[in-house]
Amino acid sequence: MLTRRTSPKKYFNRGLLYLLLVVSSLLMIIPFYWSVGTSLKLERFVFASPPQWWPAPFSLESYINILTRIPFLNYFANSVFVAVATTLGHVFFDTLAAYAFAKLKFPGRDKIFFLFLIVLMVPSQVNLIPVYRIMNSLHWTDTYLALIVPNLTSVFGIFMMRQFMMSIPGELLDSGRIDGCTEFQVFHKIALPLAIPGIATLVILTFMDRWNDFLWPRIVLNSEKLFTLPVGLAQLQMKNTSNEAQIMAGTVLTALPMIIVFLFMQRQFIEGMTAGALKE
Amino acid sequence: MTVAPYPDRVRRFVRRYSMPYLFIAVPVLSIIVFLFIPMIASFWWSLNDFSGIQAATFVGLKNYIQLFTADPIFIKTLLNTTLFVLMGMGIGPSLGMLTALLLNQKVRFQSVFRTAYYLPVMTSLVVVSTIWVMLYNQNGLLNSLVTGLGFTKVGWLSDPRVALVSVALASVWQGFGFETVIFLAAMQSIPRELYEAAMMDGANPSQRFWYITLPSLRHVIVFVYIYGIIGSYQVFDQVYVMTRGGPVYSTSTIVHYLFTKFMDLRLGYASAIAYVLFAILVIFSFIQWRFFTEKN
Repeated sequence: MLTRRTSPKKYFNRGLLYLLLVVSSLLMIIPFYWSVGTSLKLERFVFASPPQWWPAPFSLESYINILTRIPFLNYFANSVFVAVATTLGHVFFDTLAAYAFAKLKFPGRDKIFFLFLIVLMVPSQVNLIPVYRIMNSLHWTDTYLALIVPNLTSVFGIFMMRQFMMSIPGELLDSGRIDGCTEFQVFHKIALPLAIPGIATLVILTFMDRWNDFLWPRIVLNSEKLFTLPVGLAQLQMKNTSNEAQIMAGTVLTALPMIIVFLFMQRQFIEGMTAGALKE
Repeated sequence: MTVAPYPDRVRRFVRRYSMPYLFIAVPVLSIIVFLFIPMIASFWWSLNDFSGIQAATFVGLKNYIQLFTADPIFIKTLLNTTLFVLMGMGIGPSLGMLTALLLNQKVRFQSVFRTAYYLPVMTSLVVVSTIWVMLYNQNGLLNSLVTGLGFTKVGWLSDPRVALVSVALASVWQGFGFETVIFLAAMQSIPRELYEAAMMDGANPSQRFWYITLPSLRHVIVFVYIYGIIGSYQVFDQVYVMTRGGPVYSTSTIVHYLFTKFMDLRLGYASAIAYVLFAILVIFSFIQWRFFTEKN
């Protein structure tokens, strides 16, 4: 830092650094670009040789085709509905339970919490078939209920929110209790507002998880009109009546909502993702 | 102190503790119904011949014995999954480390580059896999590149010798940005003074990496590998979309095989597969669990 003169070696290093960054970023972007490009091509140019880097002629045919042929807007609405409903469930039930585990005393609290944590070790595939059977016996398969009810709360969410709740000073809650608040009001009026950063993380992680979920909805849904986006896209891809341009139009429509949300809330997303790994 | 009469004690207990129990009621119920009972049920079914239609018949360890002695496809599936995990863990975290190191220099447009790495992580695996099916097409972009360089076309997803590698590469492409972001955040929390002191002592960049950066990141590195191994062993979406386990089972993985057995209504057998997966993951899950709970 003492000498401002930049040596040639330093120039070379900076150049190399940016070269690596740009090339690697392009490797990440090109597949997305290629998928958008393909969706705008006419079918006969999709696998043209040499590859067509710019769609010519430019065509919206695939989009029109799949939007009229396939209930894509339904898939979208279903995905939104299921993801929002489950996320709301998590926000309410996970934070409420986390509050009880962090801030209230009751017999068996630590034992119950320990049992909760044990469950974290079990891979979800172990529960897949029995939960499917439960849904089936309730006649909930092929309904929204099968997607929502088993996913209203999670041990991970409770655990994460408990960490946040622990940092809330007990005196603050006590002052609420002295003022005559019920325990639920103390939770709702004092604890909840203070836990909002944690809730933001919970919302992002849950929403993403539910939005992208595939195996479970693939198993419990049969009616096309109930499909979520990933299930609908996988089926579109499997149909031999769909061509590559249409599949890519479906891909773009499936990916776009999440990408837009991500670009607007990037900081929250990245903080949310790192929170799980780095919280100390 | 005299003990209060029984009804009074009950009343007092209810008044004092009904709220906390109410607060945890839904999660407790949900975990009992959707996790505890299913865990036990599927273990029981794994010891049964069970189609889900007829009543189950107890067969002891027959399903497990069959998996390991009479089902070469399952053995192949185990091998494939392990290879997939090895490839993913061999490349992914290193790539994440490398890109995090690049971004951790004073870089302009840092957030733009970071977004590029992170974009696929945000995107559903079904979307990413669908895109890669197109890129891997016999006449797709990758093969035009390959033929452009003078080689013959590669059957990325149709050649049994290549397909698993192709699926693993697409998965690495999808996932390493997660590691980039985690490593970068961890690097940025290393105190600057450590580096300044090292520079005073004349440490060169590679020494600074080996003696400061890497040791400071060791917890995060362990987390990333454990988390990655657990996640990769459960690979399903990519296989389902890209290859459906083929060609000739060359990309069949544990969960995909479980899925096919479930579809064939061999629920007992599928449950046994789930428990084998559980057994494989139990050590890693336990380490991850310790991670989780030691901060508790």
